Amino acid sequence: MPALALQHVNKVFGHATNEVTVLDDINFEAVSGEVSLVIGPSGSGKSTFLTIAGGIQTPTSGSVMVQGQALDDLSGKDRDALRLNRIGFILQAYNLVPYLTVRDQFTLVDQVKPTGNLDESALRHLLEQLGIAALIDQYPAELSGGQTQRVAIARALYQNPDIVLADEPTAALDSARVKVVGQLLRDLAKAHNKAIVVVTHDLRLQEFADRTYAIMDGQMSLN
Amino acid sequence: MFLALREIRHEKLRYGLIIGMIVLVSYLVFILSGLAYGLAQQNTQAISSWRVDRIALNKDANDSLSQSVISKQAADKVKLTSHEAYLGQTGVVAKAKGQAKLSAQFLGIDRDQLIYRRLKVTAGHKPTKANQILVDDSFKDNGYRLGDKVTLNAADGQYRIVGFTHNAKLSVAPVIYGSLGTWRTLSHLTPDFQASGIVSARANFQAKGLSTLPMSQFINKLPGYSAQNTTFSFMIGFLMVIAMVVIAVFLYILTMQKLPNYAVLRAQGIPAKVLVTTTVTQALLLVVAGLLIGAGLTLATVLAVPTGVPMSFNLPLLGAVTGGILLTGVVGALIPVKVILNVDPVSVMGG
Ligand SMILES: Nc1ncnc2c1ncn2[C@@H]1O[C@H](COP(=O)(O)OP(=O)(O)OP(=O)(O)O)[C@@H](O)[C@H]1O
Ligand SMILES: [Mg+2]
Repeated sequence: MPALALQHVNKVFGHATNEVTVLDDINFEAVSGEVSLVIGPSGSGKSTFLTIAGGIQTPTSGSVMVQGQALDDLSGKDRDALRLNRIGFILQAYNLVPYLTVRDQFTLVDQVKPTGNLDESALRHLLEQLGIAALIDQYPAELSGGQTQRVAIARALYQNPDIVLADEPTAALDSARVKVVGQLLRDLAKAHNKAIVVVTHDLRLQEFADRTYAIMDGQMSLN
Repeated sequence: MFLALREIRHEKLRYGLIIGMIVLVSYLVFILSGLAYGLAQQNTQAISSWRVDRIALNKDANDSLSQSVISKQAADKVKLTSHEAYLGQTGVVAKAKGQAKLSAQFLGIDRDQLIYRRLKVTAGHKPTKANQILVDDSFKDNGYRLGDKVTLNAADGQYRIVGFTHNAKLSVAPVIYGSLGTWRTLSHLTPDFQASGIVSARANFQAKGLSTLPMSQFINKLPGYSAQNTTFSFMIGFLMVIAMVVIAVFLYILTMQKLPNYAVLRAQGIPAKVLVTTTVTQALLLVVAGLLIGAGLTLATVLAVPTGVPMSFNLPLLGAVTGGILLTGVVGALIPVKVILNVDPVSVMGG
């Protein structure tokens, strides 16, 4: 059973003459233990694809299955629980709550999900790996773009999710950091059997992927 | 609580201003209700100090003490116990040498009866002779002293102040306690008349041949009393409604401004319920802080204002005001709850 599957997913924005088809009959599978990369240019529908896969947006038609469970069949509450417990989201922008320090971003996760998160030493290791351990008492406004992105990655992984959905996680990072993040995601897949889905236009990530899809004008194909 | 507190800590100025506004609003409401209640008290303080339940008046007096006289013949038909007392009332103008004239309520009482027994003296002693009087503390504030000789109305004779008593006001005028005989003199009545009314501390007191009514009903019929109270109730009511709307609007705006942050939290999978609880908790924290500071300011004001300004507080009224403002906070924060529940995580994702 794939960790995540999209079947015949369409997404249409607008009505009548303004209608835009952003996703056109998408079929996609991500399995545990693998990194799946979706590469496409700006405006190709990457973020739309990822938010639909993570249950943040609903498709116009088609179905999304998470660990064999159709999202359509879940109540809003169950979908929240699923997202909190199974899916780690790394958003493209504006990921962090502005009035929480880096440390408190993790405390907040503990507050709403008291169990199943990384323990203290695992968190410290993760922060060191990402090079943000020293930023623990900073507010998001005091971080650079790349630092913000790395904190967002750590925050999503802190929940110890089975599925990680990452939207342009390396957009603001230099090549050395790209390698760190790529390797980190690959380790998560291999050592912890997680399903990793990354959407990006960053070809530097290709070497860490088990499979690479291309997305173009809302149509997806396996490379 | 966690999110609510962290946000307040990070946005000190914004939340400080909102608390400040709640402080001012609650201060205003507290002070105004204190003044209104203080004035209402001055109508009835003397009556309250006797702790009586019922009053009997002449049937034709239309429940008004000043319109009532009870003849000796009628009074003799009512058997008095130690729980009853005669009361003779008349309005007077008091004057002592070198002092300003003072409008007052003269109350004639019997030295063997309930009212006399229950009077509390703050200085001097209770009258023991017909020409002695016990007066409200406000005489002292107007320069009168123990031992001063006072003329009442244009009547001959002088009366000596032998004692002061606290909180003795009737119809917003200071009270002068004296004998029933003095009352007759001041009212130009012959000894055929016994009193204006009979008060009783018994809840089931009935006086044959007279109209007997509960004190609460009697108080409502005091001249001007209910008109005054209605006016103030409406003032406080309107003030409360407007204050509540203002607070609710502020909290509504506050919540709406937080929606982008809530969208982030929703995208992270934080349940909508947590966001609603956070919003309400925060509103309550702000309102409680505002109310506490407002109450503190009110207390400071009460201690600072001169004694002549009538201000007093009663718990039910304060409770209602406080509860109303608290409720408003919750309602104001909850109005946008539908928006919070439906906040769209995608709206903040960008790209
Ligand atoms: N809510 C919306 N209403 C209308 N059109 C939308 C909406 N969201 C996205 N689109 C359109 O869908 C298309 C794909 O958007 P999407 O954000 O998925 O692109 P993307 O591949 O993530 O681009 P980028 O690389 O710049 O992040 C764009 O043309 C965008 O304008
Ligand atoms: Mg995008």
